[in-house]
Amino acid sequence: MIITFPHMGRVYIPVKALFDDLGMQVVVPPPVSKETLEIGTRISPESACLPLKINLGNYIQSMEKGADTIVLTGSCGPCRFGYYGVVEQEILQDQGYHMDVVILDAPGKDPRILLQRIRKISGNSPWSKIAGAFMQASKIVEQTDALIDIYLRKRPREQNQGETKHQQSRFEKEVLKYHGSNEILNFIKECMEEAEEIPEDPYMDPLHIGLVGEIYTLIEPYVNLDIENKLGSLGVEVHRGITVVDWVKTHLSMNRGYKKKRKAMLNKGANYLNLCVGGHAQETIASTVHYADQGMDGVIQILPFGCMPEIVAESIIPTISRDRQFPTMTLTVDEMTGEAGYMTRLEAFVDLLEQKKGKKYEQS
Amino acid sequence: MKIGIPRALLYSIYLPLWKTFFEELGHDVVLSSKTNQDILNSGVKNCVDDACLPVKIFHGHVMDLAGKVDMILIPRLISVHPGEFICPKFIGLPEMIKNDLPSISNLLVLDFNAHGRAEKAYDGMKKLGRELGASLSLIHSSLKKAQLRQEDYKNMLENGSSPQDLLDIRRDNYIAKEAYSNMGIYYKRGLELRETDQSKDAEANPTKGMIGLIGHPYLVYDTYINMNICRKLKVSGYEIVYPENCGLEEIDRACARYPKKLFWSYGKRLLGSGLSMMRDRRIQGLILITSFACGIDAFIDELLIRANNREFLLPLTTLTLDEHTGEAGFDTRLEAFIDMMEWRNKYDNHFSPHGSGIYSGQGIVR
Repeated sequence: MIITFPHMGRVYIPVKALFDDLGMQVVVPPPVSKETLEIGTRISPESACLPLKINLGNYIQSMEKGADTIVLTGSCGPCRFGYYGVVEQEILQDQGYHMDVVILDAPGKDPRILLQRIRKISGNSPWSKIAGAFMQASKIVEQTDALIDIYLRKRPREQNQGETKHQQSRFEKEVLKYHGSNEILNFIKECMEEAEEIPEDPYMDPLHIGLVGEIYTLIEPYVNLDIENKLGSLGVEVHRGITVVDWVKTHLSMNRGYKKKRKAMLNKGANYLNLCVGGHAQETIASTVHYADQGMDGVIQILPFGCMPEIVAESIIPTISRDRQFPTMTLTVDEMTGEAGYMTRLEAFVDLLEQKKGKKYEQS
Repeated sequence: MKIGIPRALLYSIYLPLWKTFFEELGHDVVLSSKTNQDILNSGVKNCVDDACLPVKIFHGHVMDLAGKVDMILIPRLISVHPGEFICPKFIGLPEMIKNDLPSISNLLVLDFNAHGRAEKAYDGMKKLGRELGASLSLIHSSLKKAQLRQEDYKNMLENGSSPQDLLDIRRDNYIAKEAYSNMGIYYKRGLELRETDQSKDAEANPTKGMIGLIGHPYLVYDTYINMNICRKLKVSGYEIVYPENCGLEEIDRACARYPKKLFWSYGKRLLGSGLSMMRDRRIQGLILITSFACGIDAFIDELLIRANNREFLLPLTTLTLDEHTGEAGFDTRLEAFIDMMEWRNKYDNHFSPHGSGIYSGQGIVR
């Protein structure tokens, strides 16, 4: 059994470590590229959301490298993500690919099904080993996110332009050479130290922009046209509304303190949206309010075209913007998104924020 | 008090429940006008661009009611069946209306959530009744009556009626007559005078067979959005089978072929009814009708088409609707589909002397 999984930002790092630790063979799909998207777009339903198309591209590219089993997580609605597994399996079958799809769902009526599936993809390792591997993987999730946060902070302040970007892309390439969670953790630590040393411009006072929206488009750099990097090079410090750590903690951890904190966070948006409409719409609203309260300069919402929950959020955000005199912008991405138009919109938004900030200083 | 109900989204399924409930509480119920160009335009203008056509039209209906009534009912349908959801946009509908139409403030938000237990779904109605100042006993009796009406309505749908037949009074249509006697006072008050010659046209031609029309209720039963497809099919001599004509058990049985339970109630209904229509082979062809960028249909139609290609090989087509759809192009596609279907049925048992026959191809007209 050679396992593969869909890409989602840097999730491949902990997942690879997890299967390494369990002693399973794993194929990390090639980084998402134009070719991935083309393969996916060709075989997926036209109006399916972008992540599905990219997932399918990932599977087929990994299969060419020898993978035969797909592992992905599921959910029970109302967002479409919950039914990805079934639809993807049907499409692959019709395309003549025979791959085993293992869906890790939240345990419903019978938790044994989930446990059996976990057993299956871990090559019948003992439970203690499986638990250990999961613990290590969640540590990597946390560390990777911490490292990305350093990059985000450094990017607008760096003295030599492009240095952070260079380091980050080196990290993302080289991390695949390491095997097992311990080696990977060590490498992340090395990279963190290296990143902290990037010389900063002490007089730089960057704009602060929060990124909110659908989780996949937020954390997969190919899909959002590497918005973190683009904004960083425009002199903006990017704050992320949703990270992989949040997702893991919300769905897999039993940590009560975190759940309480999350609830308090969600409550901030209660005036606008006080129930879950699926996906991350509630988080989008809550984070937008939170960023406005924190005195940031603006918020950008990103969603894949046709994303049902985010459309609800999209219609609420203008009200928040009006109520709090807070600049916001919504970007919809799909396979037709052109980089030039996207860049122009980002530049225009940043320009406006800079002018607004300049005015604030003149008045004070 | 006058309560307005927008004639959009799932009104065609839940109208008896809502209308009876509010009328029993002693309020007047007013429906918005049937969907028309003005409603469509004002809806499109006041809604976020990314939303789908039915949601935009709902906005238009709310604007149509504004000023005519004291309160406008905005249903928040979270779940209509335990353990299932419907489209996320329905859950956020009141928020969308509040934020897209800030000038309209007299909204009556009705929560309907059967996700935990089916009986719990009516808590929202009880709460609303209290907010409207009714006594507990009155709420209780009204709710009971409304539920009975809804049950009758559901049974009639499963026995082969369409909401259009039931909600628009049609005196010379025997189904409507039945509806009239069954539903008693409810239909005597009348919702709408029938559209004149619809049923006459249908009776002029003997029926050639049945066509399954798979789509969400708000597309299939809104004659404006779907360019009166039902009438066009009837005029061409076909009877229509609707997803609502399928019982829940049948749907569950048909959906059992997929490894994971589908968690959208209406998605499941479309998929299950489509599969069971294909399986029992009483239909000549299947038309999938969907609105552009419908998230649920993107998956459901895909599954249906793939199942059909693999096993059933029935003539099947997909018609996509949005606010730009032109009627001429739509008609052409519909006529082409019917022609292809009839030719296939006529010539399909010709064996080609060489190669594969041109009519007995895949059976799919896309």
